[in-house]
Amino acid sequence: MEERVLERKGLVVRHSLLERIEHWAVALSGLVLVATGFFELPVARRYFITEIPGLGWSGDYITSLNIHYAASAVFIAAALFHLVHHGLLRHDGMVPRRGDLRASVEVIRTFFGKGEEPPFDKYLPEQRLAWAGMAVIMALLILSGLVKTWKNLVDPQMSPALVLTATWVHNGAFLLFILAFAAHIGALILKPNRPMVRSIFTGGVRLDYARKRHPLWMSRLEGESRDPDKGKKEG
Amino acid sequence: MSESPKISRRGFLKVAGGVAIAAGAGIPGTAGAKEPRGAATLIDIGRCDGCPNYEIPLCVAACRERYLSRVPEPVDPIPKLFPRGKVEDWSKRKNVFDRLTPYNRIYVQKAAVSGDGKVREFHIPRRCMHCDHPACATLCPFSANKKHENGAVVIDPDLCFGGAKCRDLCPWAIPQRQSGIGLYLHILPTLAGNGVLFKCDLCHERIEKNELPVCVAACHREVMTFGPREAVFAEAEKRAAETGGFLYGKNENGGTSTLYLSPVPFEKLNGVIEKGPGKPHFDPVKPRMAETNALAKAVLLSPLVGLAAAWFGTAVAASGSEDGKGGK
Repeated sequence: MEERVLERKGLVVRHSLLERIEHWAVALSGLVLVATGFFELPVARRYFITEIPGLGWSGDYITSLNIHYAASAVFIAAALFHLVHHGLLRHDGMVPRRGDLRASVEVIRTFFGKGEEPPFDKYLPEQRLAWAGMAVIMALLILSGLVKTWKNLVDPQMSPALVLTATWVHNGAFLLFILAFAAHIGALILKPNRPMVRSIFTGGVRLDYARKRHPLWMSRLEGESRDPDKGKKEG
Repeated sequence: MSESPKISRRGFLKVAGGVAIAAGAGIPGTAGAKEPRGAATLIDIGRCDGCPNYEIPLCVAACRERYLSRVPEPVDPIPKLFPRGKVEDWSKRKNVFDRLTPYNRIYVQKAAVSGDGKVREFHIPRRCMHCDHPACATLCPFSANKKHENGAVVIDPDLCFGGAKCRDLCPWAIPQRQSGIGLYLHILPTLAGNGVLFKCDLCHERIEKNELPVCVAACHREVMTFGPREAVFAEAEKRAAETGGFLYGKNENGGTSTLYLSPVPFEKLNGVIEKGPGKPHFDPVKPRMAETNALAKAVLLSPLVGLAAAWFGTAVAASGSEDGKGGK
């Protein structure tokens, strides 16, 4: 399902089913990775997490490592799929553009009642920056995690310098991932952004919202729709 | 729109299957595809008399002389931990010799084995086994604990937070904690960490200079044979065959670099030795790290799965639609 206007339903499709699967594969496996990453620290017994019903396993490092590995496999495959698939199809809407940093500051100011929002494309400038930031954090996590996994499986006597580097890159990126996740959720709590939330569950956003806040995207989409060779318009 | 990749479904499956099989073949079937490297120790239990003429066995005394002063004095008072409040302070019990402590990294375990109407006394030096696939080291969250090329598993006291994960993961619970020292004091002393873990480091610095570990050098009965792994293992097998002895440590926890040779079965020794905190057993030990091998392999293969799926998905999208371009 591609992005398209559903005039009768008053919606516009913002995320295809495939994109939602990608998002939730990364998001849910990421949350499992954060939890089991914590459990790989000796915290579960100390902080009575093992006594929470259903979390008795959290104090067993081998069990939590196995769950961490299972979630990692999903996380890595989904992240690479996202990057390569959309890269090959030239889906560059989330790639940061020149001036995004300055524009982001201005948009954030409008959340606090200062100035007016500029017309947006499909994504806000801070969403494009956040995507790039998360991509870097995930790349660090994945590369360092693969080194650690290789050490665990194949070469326990790997160079101590390499092991130490991979460990601290992984630990540092782990903290950044949690901060980025908190910022992501924080941005969705802001009132102007709330209408966007539904599309990550259902695929669509309200047409009136999209026309008002994302006119650059809508004009392109509706322009294409009028040309039968370029797109479809339902309704 | 750019030129779409042309990939048939059958062709894709063939190539993807081939890539997966080739990649799978490149990933070892069991942990430690690389052979363990470095030194090993043979501890011949039949030769040890426990140094009856000395207050402390010579191996223990030599180790204490080298390492006692290397444990810093803990802060006073030691911060109480939130929420459990548990600290481990051996600093006022430095003269405990009958178990492992941060100050006593080798001790001599006693066993009196009955058989044929006789009781035979055994003395068994116990310390870290320096495993081939040490979960204590590979799963240390700060990489404070590492398996070195020379075979030694070494905790770096400057990096250790004292969470004692290594002790929990060690089948023999060898590492011992001293609270009130180390890195955690400078970060979140009541909320995270709890001191530094200490254990035998195989005199890592000495063996790097081709010197013997002090316990090996101090022994007057040549109880311990230390040297290149292959030679020590061959010597252990030879002695076991010649004397009808029993070996422990060759397969335990997936293999270690410490072999015990005993004239009596280890089940008998295990039945009579005092076991508990700081007093390790002689149980058979299955390698728990091996339980993670299948999923570790899945992780190493997952980039290929992601790439293959992207290639397939792109081919399908490109062949099914020409409207892939836009504000995505």
